[in-house]
Amino acid sequence: MQENKSRDPVSREPRTVTRRQFLKGSISTVAAFTMVPKHVLGGPGQTPPSETFGGALIGCGGRGNGTFEAMGLEARKLAICDVKFVGRADDKMVYRDFRRVLERKDIDVVAIATPPHWHALISIAAMEAGKDVLCEKPMTRFIAEGRAVADAEKRYNRIFQVGTFGRFGRSRNPRDILTHKIMKSGLLKNCKAVHIKRGGLKVREWSGMVNATPQPVPKSLDWDMYCGPSPLRPYHPHRFGGTHRGYWDYEGGGLADMAQHHFDPVQWTFAKDDTSPVEVEAYAPPAHPEACGMWGWVELKYADGLTFVMDSCEWPIDDEPSYDRKESRDVSLSDLDEESQRKVAAMPDPEPLVSFAEAVKTRKRAGGNADAAHRCATLLHLANIAIRTGRKLRYDPVKEEIVGDEEANRLVNQPMRAPWHL
Amino acid sequence: MNEESSTLADLISQMPDPDERGMYCTDIDKERIEKAVAEIHRGGRKSVMAIIDMLRPPGEGNDAKPHYALHCLALHVCKLNDAKQRQQFAMAVASQLGGDRPKAVQRYLARQLQVAGGREVVGALGKLLTDEELCEAAAQALVAIGDGAAEQLRGALRKARGKCRLTVVQNLGVVRDRKSVRALKRAVRAKNREVRLAAVWALANIGDPGAVDVLLKTADAKDGYERIKATQACLLLAENLLAAGQRGKAAEIYTRLRDTRTDPAEQYVRNAAETKLAAMKRR
Repeated sequence: MQENKSRDPVSREPRTVTRRQFLKGSISTVAAFTMVPKHVLGGPGQTPPSETFGGALIGCGGRGNGTFEAMGLEARKLAICDVKFVGRADDKMVYRDFRRVLERKDIDVVAIATPPHWHALISIAAMEAGKDVLCEKPMTRFIAEGRAVADAEKRYNRIFQVGTFGRFGRSRNPRDILTHKIMKSGLLKNCKAVHIKRGGLKVREWSGMVNATPQPVPKSLDWDMYCGPSPLRPYHPHRFGGTHRGYWDYEGGGLADMAQHHFDPVQWTFAKDDTSPVEVEAYAPPAHPEACGMWGWVELKYADGLTFVMDSCEWPIDDEPSYDRKESRDVSLSDLDEESQRKVAAMPDPEPLVSFAEAVKTRKRAGGNADAAHRCATLLHLANIAIRTGRKLRYDPVKEEIVGDEEANRLVNQPMRAPWHL
Repeated sequence: MNEESSTLADLISQMPDPDERGMYCTDIDKERIEKAVAEIHRGGRKSVMAIIDMLRPPGEGNDAKPHYALHCLALHVCKLNDAKQRQQFAMAVASQLGGDRPKAVQRYLARQLQVAGGREVVGALGKLLTDEELCEAAAQALVAIGDGAAEQLRGALRKARGKCRLTVVQNLGVVRDRKSVRALKRAVRAKNREVRLAAVWALANIGDPGAVDVLLKTADAKDGYERIKATQACLLLAENLLAAGQRGKAAEIYTRLRDTRTDPAEQYVRNAAETKLAAMKRR
């Protein structure tokens, strides 16, 4: 029996689905949908599903192959694309311009593992070209990008999954399911829960250089394309190849890189996939204009009172917590009156989250879909905006705007370098 | 060195030194930095000018401290919540645009105006829109500021060439400048593919009902990536028209996409159009 094994990188919980189980589940669901492309379903003159998925990997650095594998599909890798393939690209298998990859009709799924300043634009372009997308975290570089990805996902009815999978484990954990139901019920009016993430946000590790001397661009690298929507800066190797994380142009430090891993599962547990915090406050020194640097803590509070805290434990004193305003606190049934407790107990468990592979085959929405991923990415972007502006922010989760702070809003929807735009 | 400049130099020296990795990760004293920045701000326009004098293009001297200090000042004037203070800072910075200062320094100044500038500096930024080395930074600052940006971009369209033209065309779409619709329709026929695509998207983002025909024709005529992007622009235009109550025009787009996207590889576009048409019927 063939087995389709994959490993959830966050929960470390192996997921094993036999091909027979997978297809059985897929076919029964597929029968209810009429919009599945014929070449995906199979049929006269069509190849069966297990052999039909043409895959492309865009961004072939450190996370590239891992992201392609994380799709969990039997996909043939038909194209690889990277801006560092100058002189190597043949536009048949090896590309340096993702636009040429997306023109190919034999590619169904795209794994994106570029630096984050390209995530949204390539995700959107791929969905506009009819492809399904698995995109590395963090989903985006700023808030408006996430909404644009979610709009494209809906407009073209494509599958999008962000490359962090911790929520799948949480959604099977009875304790998380109970918290999810309590929060989802809306019966808890004044939530006192506080979730504090202490450390693990790689602040020092993924900071940027403030005085880098420009270097010649390597011959194999299309630096203009690498910079893409971000400002065209002089080349320095620290801005490329992993250490790009330390620059606002491409990511947003360890906070942007790691917080989606940490908070995406928590966001599911607390049923916040469709909203965002309303207040954000940070303790940090004035931010550098280009290089990400030190910060102490960020507090993000939702309208119902739920509070998420990021504590760097790296500043002002290394290895020491710097946040002491609130204690961690969970949600429990006893927070509700008896009648509300009965109502929550009577609620059905949430539907199991759909993996990317299953979503591609059944056209159900993926568990880490664009809306959910965007709300999580919003957490880290709001945190970074509070750090970068040094101001306490009020946020409108419906309009997705910072309230009463025009200059801070400039970081919500950042201008892009032509020809790139949302 | 007179007493004033020595004081400013002392204050600039309060900014952190990069650590052994060239980063601001060690000995970062928030209170000390903020106190020094507030003091520099009290020096007014003179201090701003003196800091700008210390800026160097990348690789031509170590200007890490004044570079950081100017940005801290931009953040500081925004934090004060005092329009006059912010304007004074922005106008001092803007006064150094367009002159003999190195282009890399001017780009940095434009980026500080993207942080803290307002309507008072759009004229100075607008003058940079036809400069190949400055147009991108200027356009980004302008659209971030918003107020008054459209006039500057519109004014630059006729003279802008190459990269500047592409930048201006795209950003006229970003600011949704209805007064540029005629010029943008002409740009749809540009020889340069990027300019054509930017114009098509700009017309869609503006939501001009008179652009339906030109966008549909473009989307039908092209292939490859240009067809994908022009089709996206058609769907975007339809959504904007629907939002503006122009149901007939939106239906025209959806119907055409439904009827022409018959290739199996474009089934998803056909489906998207059909879904929208069905939703319009229900309403």
